[in-house]
Amino acid sequence: MKVHGRLILFSLAAPIAYTLAYYFDWSLFQYYVSEGRIHFSPLPASAGPPILWYGWLATAGLAGGAIACAAPRRLIARLSPELPWLIPVAALLAALIYEMRWFL
Amino acid sequence: MMTALLILHGLLAVALLGAVTHQAFAATARRGELRTRSFFARFRATDAAAYRNAVVVLFSAVMIVGAILYPRYRFLVRPILQTQDLRSANGAFELKEHFSAIGMMVLPAYWAFWKQPLSPEYESARVWLTWIVALIVWWNFVVGQLLVAIKGLFL
Repeated sequence: MKVHGRLILFSLAAPIAYTLAYYFDWSLFQYYVSEGRIHFSPLPASAGPPILWYGWLATAGLAGGAIACAAPRRLIARLSPELPWLIPVAALLAALIYEMRWFL
Repeated sequence: MMTALLILHGLLAVALLGAVTHQAFAATARRGELRTRSFFARFRATDAAAYRNAVVVLFSAVMIVGAILYPRYRFLVRPILQTQDLRSANGAFELKEHFSAIGMMVLPAYWAFWKQPLSPEYESARVWLTWIVALIVWWNFVVGQLLVAIKGLFL
């Protein structure tokens, strides 16, 4: 990969990390709407439902950033030019399958 | 304040929709077609690479404003969807959430692939990524509009 290999690697790693984050509930933090505060460990149910989406974004951003920074140049140079669109398509399909429960 | 932000979110989304749709059609234009005078040929006869920064900035802005509005949706709108058992509407928004996140994460690659001079090696990746971003933007726009109007439409 000649063009901005690390940016492209971020775009490969982060959607995978995001998919894993919502599937396995790896939220870096929770935002409690009723309190308007962020907590790094879950509160009891009486605190109301938390927003996990911000935490999933943070998990994916950090994981994607770490992988993009740490990957050796040789690996980046060997990435297939098809991967940058195949991975997001797979991530979108995974989201569709995961959320299908709402439509059945 | 929140109403103003919701309107801003909608206006930015309209601008993004226009930019990315133009770019997606221009990126897939066939060479001979650009010389014809049909509506689609004129629609496509634009410099696709010129939209790169506009799409990245607008997508990020829409996402940031959406993220600010999100707690209000969870606090006010989602409970209504749940009590009225509007499961499809709820699911459509869940998909909007995931699609926005994935769209935001592919933007660095999208930006890199559209950087001048365009590399012919990555033409298919460039076209595919542009269409992925365009489909995400269209889905999110339509779902957003439906949810804003849901009281009038379904309740």
